[in-house]
Amino acid sequence: MTTDLAMQTRRKFIKNAAATTAFIGLGGLTLPSFTTPKDKRITILHTNDVHSQIEPLPNNHYKYPGLGGFARRATQIDAIRKENANTLLLDAGDIFQGTPYFNYFGGELEFKLMSMLGYDLATLGNHDFDNGIGGFYKQLPNANFDFVSANYDFTNTILEGKVKPYKTFIKDGIKIGVFGLGVELEGLVTKTLYKETKYLDPIEITKDTVKQLKEVEKCDLIICLSHLGYNYRKHPDKVSDLILARNTKDIDLIIGGHSHTLLKKPTIEKNSIGENVLINQCGKSGVYMGQIDFYFSADGSKIANGKSIIV
Amino acid sequence: MKKLILPLFIVFIGFTSCKKEKTTLYKIEAHQLKTDSTVIEKQSISNFIKPFKQKLNNELDAVLCTTSSDLTKKDGRLESSMGNLMADICYTQGNPVFKKQTGNVVDFVLLNHGGIRSAIPKGNITARNAFEVMPFENEMVIVELSGKKVNELLIYLTTEKKAHPIANITLQIKNNTYQNVTINDKPFDHTKNYFVLTSDYLQQGGDHMTFFKNPISIHKIDYKIRNALIDYFKNTTAITPNLDNRFSYAN
Repeated sequence: MTTDLAMQTRRKFIKNAAATTAFIGLGGLTLPSFTTPKDKRITILHTNDVHSQIEPLPNNHYKYPGLGGFARRATQIDAIRKENANTLLLDAGDIFQGTPYFNYFGGELEFKLMSMLGYDLATLGNHDFDNGIGGFYKQLPNANFDFVSANYDFTNTILEGKVKPYKTFIKDGIKIGVFGLGVELEGLVTKTLYKETKYLDPIEITKDTVKQLKEVEKCDLIICLSHLGYNYRKHPDKVSDLILARNTKDIDLIIGGHSHTLLKKPTIEKNSIGENVLINQCGKSGVYMGQIDFYFSADGSKIANGKSIIV
Repeated sequence: MKKLILPLFIVFIGFTSCKKEKTTLYKIEAHQLKTDSTVIEKQSISNFIKPFKQKLNNELDAVLCTTSSDLTKKDGRLESSMGNLMADICYTQGNPVFKKQTGNVVDFVLLNHGGIRSAIPKGNITARNAFEVMPFENEMVIVELSGKKVNELLIYLTTEKKAHPIANITLQIKNNTYQNVTINDKPFDHTKNYFVLTSDYLQQGGDHMTFFKNPISIHKIDYKIRNALIDYFKNTTAITPNLDNRFSYAN
């Protein structure tokens, strides 16, 4: 295939996509103008609130009959990785609790399976404290992936040094920074379970962390793994993914959890400087897995002023 | 863990960013992938799960005790065989823990009818039954209520006219008011404080049980209701479901 043809095909695809789905251009031209062999694609796969759903939900489930299951998800992940090796697989917390598998095996199976599926990183949800931070710590040897949380301060707890604020990855020369955010534990989790863990203000921590990722780590892509919840209609001031997006900058994608929100397509929200942030969440129990593809041009000068988001 | 990022770092951008090959994000695409039965299971993963599943099923399906007839939440008017059993178990299992931790005793138990999520059919009882009856992770809590709040609680029961599970308390409804209330075999005393065992969910105002909010004291015993059921089943050989008119209409 010649470059021209490839370009033409892509244009056609974009055009078609634009006709049927939301198509948002940032600043000026909406059509991406060039595709070169140097273009790079980063695929982000994500789950949230899997809640020990090892097997698919029962066929008589009131909301998601017969959906989910690790063995099926493994097949989906394999197929995507085969198509694009530059893939990251992330989880936004509440890995634990929800089926007797957790009650009997304490999270061993969840972590082992996530390792087998090739999860790269996760953050902690409130239910991941259900066997105490000691119970979480005990299962860590079963996870060959890391956990990040920027706003839980684990100083003086067994998890001190085990959970970092963020982690960076380099895929095909693209540097990706992923940081974690957790929900306020007081009132949600018994103090005897989270012990001396301190919850820090997510917005302030995010501003510091993103600055670090952008200016010091020089990340090309910044992703937040959030267990804050999508939005609180009854408590509009309670910090949520929507509020986080509006009050910060330089985050490309917020992967949410906690509220078990199943978004039909990611939400596009304006950040504090009017740029677009993507927020996505996939219900619960692994009924859906999110896939977000980021396309990078190797030569910035060829890009029409702006990026397009097709959701 | 480094929480504070020094603004000093900004100085370096100018030097380093031009060394790096410039990449520009120009397009984002998103899809929600449904994990349904059309996706074939990866065999190695299913095989890995299998022994865990087997072990879990053995645990869940081991016979702990038996029941001589069906335990349901719909076989009485203001009480039920399942509700009576559940409240009695919470009292039997929770009271000794509370007594040991505080020196006080539980006066009575109140749970909610909606919290009973399944029935247990006549025959063998297993841990799986306990998970079905109580799929939630709720814990028992003991709240100290004034006589005034207990009065509100009794009015709630009288108004609701539902078979909310209770134990160690009896009462009757007559003409939309309560009467003949006994707690711990003694008549209800408006001037006394009572220790009421309930679930953390109800204590926080679940099912509009607002009288549980802001009590004189709250004591958590770190004991899940489901675990109380399982522990009780393990220590029992046979259950005889009973309706004993603990909550009834007068006449």
